[in-house]
Amino acid sequence: MKANPSLSRRDFLKVSSVAGVGLVIGLYVPACSRLESAPTDATPTPVLPTPTTAPDVFFSPNVFVNLGTDGTVTVTCPRPDMGQGTRTALPMILAEELGVDWPAIRIEQADADTAYGDQSAAGSTSIETFYMPLRKAGALARKMLVRAAADTWDVTPEACSVQHGIVTNIQTQEALPFSVLVRTAMAYDPNEFLPAELKDPKDFTIIGTSVPRVDGPDMVTGKAVYGMDVRVPDMLYAAVARCPVFRGQLISFDDSEARKVSGVVNVLEITSGSDGGRPTRSVAVLAHDTWSAIRGRDSLKVQWDEGPSASLSGDDIEKKLLEEMIYPPEDGELVAYYTVPFFSHSTMEPINSTVRLGQQDCEAWAPTQNPQALQKFITTTYGMLPDKARVHVPLVGGAFGRRIEFPSFSLTLPFVHLMESAELSKAAGVPVKVVWTRDDDMHFEYFHPLSVTRVAAALADIRSMSVQRRDASGYGIPTGAWRAVTNVPEAFARQSFVDEFAVATKQDPIELRRQMLGDRQRAVLDLAVKKSGWGSELPPGHGRGIAIHSTWDQSPCAEVAQVVVDESGRIRVLKVTCAIDCGVAINPDMVKAQLEGGIIFGLTAALKAHVTIDKGRVVQSNFHDYPLLKMNEVPEIETFVIKSTANPTGTGEMANPPVAAAVANAVYAATGKRIRRLPILPEGLVAA
Amino acid sequence: MASLVIDVNDNSYTVDVEPDMPLLWVLRDVIGLTGTKYSCGIGVCGTCTVHVDGEAVQSCSLPVSEAAGKRITTIEGLSPDGTHPLQQAWLAEQVSQCGYCTPGQIMIAAALLQKNPRPSDEEIKTAMSAALCRCGTYPRVMRAIRRVAGGVG
Repeated sequence: MKANPSLSRRDFLKVSSVAGVGLVIGLYVPACSRLESAPTDATPTPVLPTPTTAPDVFFSPNVFVNLGTDGTVTVTCPRPDMGQGTRTALPMILAEELGVDWPAIRIEQADADTAYGDQSAAGSTSIETFYMPLRKAGALARKMLVRAAADTWDVTPEACSVQHGIVTNIQTQEALPFSVLVRTAMAYDPNEFLPAELKDPKDFTIIGTSVPRVDGPDMVTGKAVYGMDVRVPDMLYAAVARCPVFRGQLISFDDSEARKVSGVVNVLEITSGSDGGRPTRSVAVLAHDTWSAIRGRDSLKVQWDEGPSASLSGDDIEKKLLEEMIYPPEDGELVAYYTVPFFSHSTMEPINSTVRLGQQDCEAWAPTQNPQALQKFITTTYGMLPDKARVHVPLVGGAFGRRIEFPSFSLTLPFVHLMESAELSKAAGVPVKVVWTRDDDMHFEYFHPLSVTRVAAALADIRSMSVQRRDASGYGIPTGAWRAVTNVPEAFARQSFVDEFAVATKQDPIELRRQMLGDRQRAVLDLAVKKSGWGSELPPGHGRGIAIHSTWDQSPCAEVAQVVVDESGRIRVLKVTCAIDCGVAINPDMVKAQLEGGIIFGLTAALKAHVTIDKGRVVQSNFHDYPLLKMNEVPEIETFVIKSTANPTGTGEMANPPVAAAVANAVYAATGKRIRRLPILPEGLVAA
Repeated sequence: MASLVIDVNDNSYTVDVEPDMPLLWVLRDVIGLTGTKYSCGIGVCGTCTVHVDGEAVQSCSLPVSEAAGKRITTIEGLSPDGTHPLQQAWLAEQVSQCGYCTPGQIMIAAALLQKNPRPSDEEIKTAMSAALCRCGTYPRVMRAIRRVAGGVG
């Protein structure tokens, strides 16, 4: 578990509002989640509380930054980091405006707390949402510290400059470090400092630099603490037997063998979600270690009522989806259908959470994308005030939408891990960690839904293109957000269709796209085309394909794939060239990492793994039958980030949607065979 | 239950566990060395890799009784101060994203380089295909290992 410094951010907030000396400014960040609702204006309105007193050693002009008289500068990262790099990039933004050197910053991960605004790391919004609030937070602190120095020297703030956490009197060259100015700054009313002027982006010294990921050293030495690694005194471990059929129910169980397993402490019936308001019951085994819990669980004899979904199959659903959209093309119209299967998130860290549920309070440690949703679950379920329901966020071993915890998803699966660990902790009277095995993780997923997309356009004009999609949500199978969500089938269908249209109308696929795009997208397309060597001759059996997509209408991302298809139809992707415009790249190397990762994530979906549903359950169970792309299958990847000073837009979900279409279009170029279904399988593919 | 003595990172631990408990869970839950991660549990993803007598072994699939009396090294013991050349290379190339597969990847790579200090790219790819990464850090894993292996391609 994360080491708790002597005074945590949260404790500090509490103390400061009670004791009343310093300045606590709440910056209101509007809730903005594209997955739940349309984006709202992301520019926050600073909300200034009455100046209050604070402990005597900290200056914390807002919830994001805390400067100590001892020279410490602590920046609180409001959103979870599941690999996308928020714990590095968000503090960089604040540090830039504050005027301290990057190595001076200490990072603290925020617990769930509405004081931070919307903490859900979803929809590639973290940088975009917090760019201005964190700049303003840093600039306000800097402005107050400069005033403290100016007042000390009896000069105007304009007579001072800031660098390296030190305020300098420009004329006399006298200098005062922030740590010395903290006490003076604490006495000011922040209302008098608004608006705090922001830096000109051309003066940035931290934003735009590739500082290393803050957790890197702990990751390479095994010290990094993920949810799975949380250890709390007296903790028990739990594994849970859930009905393998969607919407099934527990009838009865025999735990006599399970209780004989060494290390097993107890067997309990608990709730693992709900279905139409009816609790879904399951059986949990509590043990002194994970292995004994799993062995105990596997020794249970459970009778399930398989319920109304026992005959559900993905193939049947696909037929229905297609039937809903079968209507004949109009004269002079090109029509095509594209199918994308169910996908699993398959984060390397399986689902888990640890909860200590007391009589009056609760503490949870959860690798989550959405700490506030978990806190709300605890407060509403157990009737606690938010400050009694503490949700800590350890490092998150991958998420990709699996840990969004939005309650709107079907069968309330998002909360199951927390439901289970909280109920078990209450029953056992000790903290409990629920560990989902890999099988559990795959079986009790919410999947990227299978979908069929119909695209049509009058051959006379590509701008008449219309897109309709039906997907498998609402058929009794849990489905939800999966990296880029609907952008995945959208990009595959649209960008494959544009290629088909180009062939049908004998147009150049690049020129056709250029006509369809705005300036920003066209620049990205042109860059990818140029860097890929598009147009140069390729050996027989090779082909290039292109796709461009702007996930959530944010950062346009273009990709050129080069493939080779051998005599047996086996496809190898040799190279992917990727270009993006994401506004100012806060940390260019981390942007590139997101692009590389997105491409590889997209290639697994395009070429390798998919989930099939049969008899109301998931057929796959582990990485042997849900095979992720491996090192020996990874193409050469080149990424190019357009230089920009525009406000930043997301990168986490931008690179995976275009890949499948780029590869499919390349396969067409190599073989003349059109791909309209993922994953792309070797059957029927022979080099032209 | 059996009382077993296992040697981990040059420390000797006496553990009272079922002899068929996988080494992974003994390391994580009994001894408290959580650097070795759980992911697939069936020996197909490489995340739980440790060294047993210098060989890369998936600890989720090795009964602890078979590890007793052998020399076990985990990510925590790979170097005394986190400065193994691969750990440094991982940072230099900024390999990790979520970082969950990192300990297993590094342990597989360390065993490879121990046997074959200058592997070809093909040899690296073959060895490292035993490790899955959902974040897609493979190109950087390759670069980090090449960096230590002297850039031989």
